[in-house]
Amino acid sequence: MKRRGFLKLGVLMGSAPYLNAKAVTAFQKEFEAVSPVIEAVLEHIFPIGSQIPSAKETGLVHFVYETITHPSYDKDIRSFVIEGAKELDKRTQSRFVQMKHSQKEYALREYEMTGYGDNWLGRMMTLGMEGLFSDPIYGANPKEAGWKALGAYGGQPRPKTRYLGS
Amino acid sequence: MNAKHYDVVIIGSGASGGSVAYMLSKAGFKVALLEKGRLIRRDEFSKDELAYCRRDLVTPNLFEEYHVIEEKVDGKWVGTPTYESGWSFWNGNIVGGSSNFMSGMFHRLHPDDFRLKSRYGEIKGANVVDWPISYEELEPYYTLAEKLVGISGHYIPHPYEPPRSTPDFPQPPTRENAVVKLLDKSCQKLGVTPLVTPRAVLSQDTPDRHACYYSNFCGSYGCSSGAKGSAREAFVKPALATGNLTLMTNSHVKRLHTRQKDRVAYAEVVDTVTGEERKVYGDTFVVAAQAHESARLLLNSANKDHPDGLGNSSGELGKNLLFSGGGSGQGILSKKRLKEIRFEELMQTGLFVNRSILDWYFVDDWWDGKFKGGSVEWMFEHQNIISRARKDNVREGRYIWGKELGERLVKRFSEGKSIRFEIFNDWLPNDNCFVSVDPKHKDKYGMPVGRLRVEGHPQDLKVGRYIAKKCEAILEEMGAEEIYSSVSAAPSQNLVAGGCRFGDDPKRSVLDRYCRAHDLANLYVVDASFMPTGGSVAYSWTIYANALRVADHLIKRLGKG
Repeated sequence: MKRRGFLKLGVLMGSAPYLNAKAVTAFQKEFEAVSPVIEAVLEHIFPIGSQIPSAKETGLVHFVYETITHPSYDKDIRSFVIEGAKELDKRTQSRFVQMKHSQKEYALREYEMTGYGDNWLGRMMTLGMEGLFSDPIYGANPKEAGWKALGAYGGQPRPKTRYLGS
Repeated sequence: MNAKHYDVVIIGSGASGGSVAYMLSKAGFKVALLEKGRLIRRDEFSKDELAYCRRDLVTPNLFEEYHVIEEKVDGKWVGTPTYESGWSFWNGNIVGGSSNFMSGMFHRLHPDDFRLKSRYGEIKGANVVDWPISYEELEPYYTLAEKLVGISGHYIPHPYEPPRSTPDFPQPPTRENAVVKLLDKSCQKLGVTPLVTPRAVLSQDTPDRHACYYSNFCGSYGCSSGAKGSAREAFVKPALATGNLTLMTNSHVKRLHTRQKDRVAYAEVVDTVTGEERKVYGDTFVVAAQAHESARLLLNSANKDHPDGLGNSSGELGKNLLFSGGGSGQGILSKKRLKEIRFEELMQTGLFVNRSILDWYFVDDWWDGKFKGGSVEWMFEHQNIISRARKDNVREGRYIWGKELGERLVKRFSEGKSIRFEIFNDWLPNDNCFVSVDPKHKDKYGMPVGRLRVEGHPQDLKVGRYIAKKCEAILEEMGAEEIYSSVSAAPSQNLVAGGCRFGDDPKRSVLDRYCRAHDLANLYVVDASFMPTGGSVAYSWTIYANALRVADHLIKRLGKG
């Protein structure tokens, strides 16, 4: 039942459970460095023209950033999101973002063949769906677009505040 | 440190602690109720799936407070901290405890659950014993809980339905989805008797609580109308109204201290927000921290007079921990194959399935033999949107993404609905299921964490599989597709009992028949810890009933009865 093993790629993980203000700034920089890769992956998984809203239209990458930066988010998975994107970037010689659709598909399917890549892509799918199908208050389900697509709606009462803060 | 003195100090505000707090404060005792978590009021709850179901908002951060779970790997016991596995054994650390988040499917134990050993004899490898009390002694308190908690239902006589002292429930059942027509008909065709599930959810308004408003998101969420019979709604709120109850939130008890050998003098309490420590003094102490945490507290309270933990002269403290055996299964009722009811009726949200089966509570099968079986609850798959969207998006080991993912999700949500069964059967007490304190791992307060060895008995799996097969046949009869079931040996971390067995022999039990520690005159444990065997239904109603029984005893003993 150990799950931490497969989150690791020879990189030691941080030990502080919470990000303090200084760490948030450092983390923001780290995220910004890989943000285009994460954004491109999300757009590949949740493309424009699908029956559900797309990553691009909903600003999903911003949701991912806010989510994993919050203290309540598992610190090891936070690191894993960054490290996994770096690994994809490395495997594609930093060309992933510019690739054509078919090349991206090939690169992601190759990455998926590794246990590590498979877990990372699974995490991207989970984070993406958390955004698209959570309450509109979290920003990635604008005007309940995700809920409307599925015909399934959150219950009453809806949250008036975000667990993430304002 | 400042110090205060109360008639009774209760540790934990969940189903049992809340019940005792209510009864004693009503009777005029000055009561302190210590709750590790915060208070979330009725009007603060929302159906925020992210906050309540996908983040640790109502349970501790596992990197700060955790358990170590021991499982057998290649013949050796291996302990894994839950911050490693993500497998949390916390169940709602707020006022009212996990009762805030229950689904509220309530059943009484059967009279034979109190005398399992006499009735069924020894089972090899299991530590089965009879209870020191009978069903008849607990029955008045099941009835009292029905009234105070607010249990709705409709009594249908059945050979395995325990006898009742009142003809029916105080309120009629909650409203039901039309799928019950199909389920009832399918059961009857197979000779199975479906029963209406008693539910700790009000179907009608009461002076202080509103009826259910069928939000479609009941289990795992706090209730916004007060319909759900959580300890917070049913007991803590009215107890506060007496003026005799002092509710102390964010108050975690690290240890209990004795002065005389046989009396607890005070609780050592840490404020979970400020970190400040204080002492809370009382005449009587009532531990209700949920089974595995109650045993941990008593073990961590060891001192020179009680070197192995408070109340542990028998060596039984923490032993015979129980979970719930069983498993679950489901199938999809699809638009194209649906019979008996209209698809629009099936898709109506919010209404309950409200069906239980007790036909296999005791089994006498020509092929499988005679054994204690279990109960079954029927429900729709949990309606959480993110979790329904996230599952099953893999084909031949590869993720489905892109436009195909969108098509798949829309189809899943619009063309069918999954119906599900859950099986509850005895988790037989055995030598490899217990809680101790970890020799190395400590929580953020510096206290050793609970170390849980969680092995089940092979009989539990046999029973679960027997019942799962019967339920799969019902799903087939209903015309469900993609039917599957899973009966697992993994413990149910939200259904925990045992660890402080009650009994008449102080050498073989931790508590006496009134749940008082044999070794200490003023220490009680009132959560599910007392149960020597668990029965084959969820524990909640029995926890409420037993806590009310103990509270009644305390009132008489302490002189206000």
